Amino acid sequence: MNVEGEYIFNGPQQAVYDMFNDPNALATAVPGMQKMVQVDETHYEGAIFLRIGPISAAFEGVLSLSDINPPESCTLNIEGKGKAGFAKGVGRVKFTDLGNNQTKLNYSGEVNIGGTLASVGQRMIDSVAKSMIKSGCEKLQKTLEERCQQK
Amino acid sequence: MTGKYFGQPVLRLEDKHLLTGRAKFCDDIVIPGMLHAAFLRSDYAHAIIKNIDVTEARKHPGVVAVYTAEDMGDYWKIGPLQVPPPFAIKDAQFNARPLPPIAKDKVRFSGEPIAIVIAESRYIAEDACEDIIFDAEPLPAVIDLEKAWEDTSVLVHDDLPSNMAALVKQEAGDYEAAKKQADVVVSKRFVADHVAGAAMENRGFVVNWDERTQEMTVWAGTQAPLPLRSAIAGRMGLVENQVRVITPYIGGGFGPKVMTSQADDVLLPWISMKLNRPIKWIEDRRENFLATTSERDQVHHCEMALKKDGTILGFKDVFYHNTGAYDPYGMTVPLNTQTHTVSNYRVPNFYTEIRMVFTNEMVVTPVRGAGRSEGVFVMERMMDLAAKELKMDPVEIRLKNLLKKEEFPLNTGVIGQDFVVGVLDSGDYKNNLEKCIQMVDYEKFRKEIQPKARKEGKHLGIGVVAFTEGTAVGPYEGARVTVGNNGKVSVSTGYSTQGQGHFTVFAQIVAEQLNVKVEDVRVITGDTGHFHWGAGTFASRGATIAGSAIHAAAVLVREKIFATAAKFLEVPEDQVDLCEGSACVKGHPEKFISLGDLAGKANPMRGAVEADVKPGLEATAYYAPPHGATGSGACAMIVDVDPETFKVKIERFVLVHDCGTVINPLLLEGQIQGGVSMGIGNAFYEKMVYDENGQLMTASFMDYLMPQATDMPRKMEIGHNVHPSPLNTLGLKGVGEAGALPPSPAFCQAVEDALYEYELDLTESNLNPSMLYEFRNKAIKR
Amino acid sequence: MAQLIPIKVTVNDTVYERQVEPRLLLSDFIRHELGLFGTHVGCEHGMCGACTILFDGEPVRSCLIFAVQANGHQIKTVESLGSPDHMHPLQEAFHEKHGLQCGFCTPGILMTVVPFLEEHPHPTEDEIREAIDGNICRCTGYEKIIESVQAASEKMSSGK
Ligand code: FES
Ligand code: FES
Repeated sequence: MNVEGEYIFNGPQQAVYDMFNDPNALATAVPGMQKMVQVDETHYEGAIFLRIGPISAAFEGVLSLSDINPPESCTLNIEGKGKAGFAKGVGRVKFTDLGNNQTKLNYSGEVNIGGTLASVGQRMIDSVAKSMIKSGCEKLQKTLEERCQQK
Repeated sequence: MTGKYFGQPVLRLEDKHLLTGRAKFCDDIVIPGMLHAAFLRSDYAHAIIKNIDVTEARKHPGVVAVYTAEDMGDYWKIGPLQVPPPFAIKDAQFNARPLPPIAKDKVRFSGEPIAIVIAESRYIAEDACEDIIFDAEPLPAVIDLEKAWEDTSVLVHDDLPSNMAALVKQEAGDYEAAKKQADVVVSKRFVADHVAGAAMENRGFVVNWDERTQEMTVWAGTQAPLPLRSAIAGRMGLVENQVRVITPYIGGGFGPKVMTSQADDVLLPWISMKLNRPIKWIEDRRENFLATTSERDQVHHCEMALKKDGTILGFKDVFYHNTGAYDPYGMTVPLNTQTHTVSNYRVPNFYTEIRMVFTNEMVVTPVRGAGRSEGVFVMERMMDLAAKELKMDPVEIRLKNLLKKEEFPLNTGVIGQDFVVGVLDSGDYKNNLEKCIQMVDYEKFRKEIQPKARKEGKHLGIGVVAFTEGTAVGPYEGARVTVGNNGKVSVSTGYSTQGQGHFTVFAQIVAEQLNVKVEDVRVITGDTGHFHWGAGTFASRGATIAGSAIHAAAVLVREKIFATAAKFLEVPEDQVDLCEGSACVKGHPEKFISLGDLAGKANPMRGAVEADVKPGLEATAYYAPPHGATGSGACAMIVDVDPETFKVKIERFVLVHDCGTVINPLLLEGQIQGGVSMGIGNAFYEKMVYDENGQLMTASFMDYLMPQATDMPRKMEIGHNVHPSPLNTLGLKGVGEAGALPPSPAFCQAVEDALYEYELDLTESNLNPSMLYEFRNKAIKR
Repeated sequence: MAQLIPIKVTVNDTVYERQVEPRLLLSDFIRHELGLFGTHVGCEHGMCGACTILFDGEPVRSCLIFAVQANGHQIKTVESLGSPDHMHPLQEAFHEKHGLQCGFCTPGILMTVVPFLEEHPHPTEDEIREAIDGNICRCTGYEKIIESVQAASEKMSSGK
């Protein structure tokens, strides 16, 4: 499955980029995320509870960052496993400074799923992924605003 | 040949128990102390097994045992092949890779079992599956058939040089020479999609080992009770009479339930003996999709050589057949395809090549249609292509080439799934089509209805196709018929039944011979304790093969009745007559002996009897055909297509069919209608889809769509031709799969005809609205 | 082991009191706790209709509800319709019109049709098709099921 899209943040490029590299910010942004801990510079371990159509199940996994090119782009790799199957994905994220305190996020990636997740949930996963990304970005926008205000 | 019972629309004997919820199915079996099994199955389609940690699962309260391949020790064995390789065909290459009962070292399809949990309840067993930690290293999956044939970078079986499971070439005549004579040659690539049998009842298996009697009883929803019994006995080191397989009522078979030597029937008997407890396993729907066999999935490259006038000179078909991760059922499906691509028509030169490919998908074995569907699909589509090329009417080109009555028997020169050279025994294929176009009123549709509809902006189209159904193959079946002391008759056969109505049609055959009421004949099918010879339910062979054996046994019993009654009535044998339920003296119905009394007399308890005495009014008989009997038919479909939504409504559905002598016209209609619904399902609703990683994306009825009541045509108009088969006394041919064969090609032809503004070219057997939309977008506007 | 919850359910006019796990499906309760095996399970995800029963007179899929939700309610299963010797007219019609083959889907179809015929004593063919559209039958192609329901409606309205 391929995911692709963009989102415009109201905030400076560096701040947006930093947020994407901050496990705490990500953890609160992803719906259902139960924990996210940093293992080293580029690796995080997390647990998430997902609801996809008829399936609701816990997944554990690793998120890693590569091709790090602050504050413009990086690649996110995820690998998760749970009772309802597994998921593996790569996402390339790019941040473009639009000026006017606006930053555009472009993302494109590929997710492979297996197990019950694939055999029963695949019909829904597309829309679930889209809505997760959308609400994740909205959450991050709020965090961003808070951060900018604090500064 | 209609008689008092034979050929009559007798109502089914089995109905009352089914209708009132009293019939016993596999999951209705309860044995005191029974445990329940659940399988943990692989989420990966292709992976190296690193570790399976069952420690936590074993500790789960209520769990009695957990086993992996490792725990099975020497009992873990691969196979055997259920159907042998087709070495009757010259130069056939076949790489035997039978099914392992449970994965060891490597998993090769998603859904492959990796552990089994035995617990006090199914709920607990499933819970404990979740406690198992399965650690594996995923590998890329082999999915694309054509690619897998060439590409050796990923191998399903690493010990083989490629993903080739088999290569079989057959040729009748000389295609290349014929091609040189041709005025036109047309060619095309076709895809026949993957479908599920999807019987409403999933598979199930209950086993009880009785340590005191040293006997094992198995209840299983199987189409092959005798092969199952023999396989279990062999593995367990028991003699056959220590294992009794009983088929309870079965909620539909359609092919996949013929499989043996799978995880359930290998593991559960062994575990039951180990634990000395009865065990039940009932498959759930997702497991059924993932890990019960399914079928179709072929890619064909066809070529047809013709004369200008539409006469076929030759046909060439090279096709890839997906066998899945293993090939335990040999080559039944692709061989059936080979024999069914050209069997309708006069094709003097035929080259056919099977390239059977291993993939990381569940094993492919027959599903109603069983390879024939694919053969009929590509041939009929090629006829349409040729007709377009030659600017002929699709009906005209068919009539020109269809086999006529005088041409039978016809040796096809192609070896089939039964490993004998095909002989088309009888029929009038051309007349089937003629009758069909009459019934649908083809002329009127073309001249009046369609032009008028087009004027009104409606998109009506017609499709007319022909087909054969090779049925009733060997090796053999048998039966025993016994008159009881109460005058009622019992029949037992090793054949098993899944809803076809065997209890009734077999009773009709016997009732006719013995002149007893149909309801006084009690039929037992598929209980190896009652009859222990036979091959199983497949290839539409029940009524013909088991039916002929039953008929033969009934005839012997009839003869015995005459001989025995002659003695007791003190008249010559030719003076004995059968009154209902008794033997009497011809012309003197008052002088009679009831069949029950006669049965008692035929079993003397004291006194000297003749040396070669065979007690009782009983006989056993077998029937083995020299080759299969071929049914045939033609089908017309009128569709109304909405060019915006691509919704297709089947306005009319006509099918003319010839299955030889008819035993029960009511049940025959039921068989045809059921087959048609599966065919329509295949044509426009059903499709199993694996993604490129080998994940089955259609493992529920939410994603695997089957035809519902509103999807079916209002009326299936059925016409009959009766050309009795010369192969058996009753003139029977099978019919079980006939209805499933023609819908896909008829549907394609009709839809192309309906969307006449485009040069539509439908090359896939299983369509749906969004695929039609895509095909239309690719098509050139006329 | 999860805690057990006491329930009291009336099934086919008999009152049953049982202790059940909250997650026990009503279909499993009917089949395996009460031994009423006429209710069949074909998919366990609400798509096939084989498990249809009457819940306070309404047809529902017993695989989609938990046994605890039936507490205090009235359930009817296929066993309530008729016995092999005294079949309900609907069952007779299915027998006469060959409305079943393997019979696995049949109990669910009968339980769907019973309340339907009460509301539509003289249904059209289309209404029948709509009524059984949620019940999957793999064997018959539905035509004879529809004929059976038509025949039943005639039988029942003529009081035979
Ligand atoms: S079992 Fe309940 S709807 Fe299928
Ligand atoms: S009769 Fe078999 S599913 Fe309906």
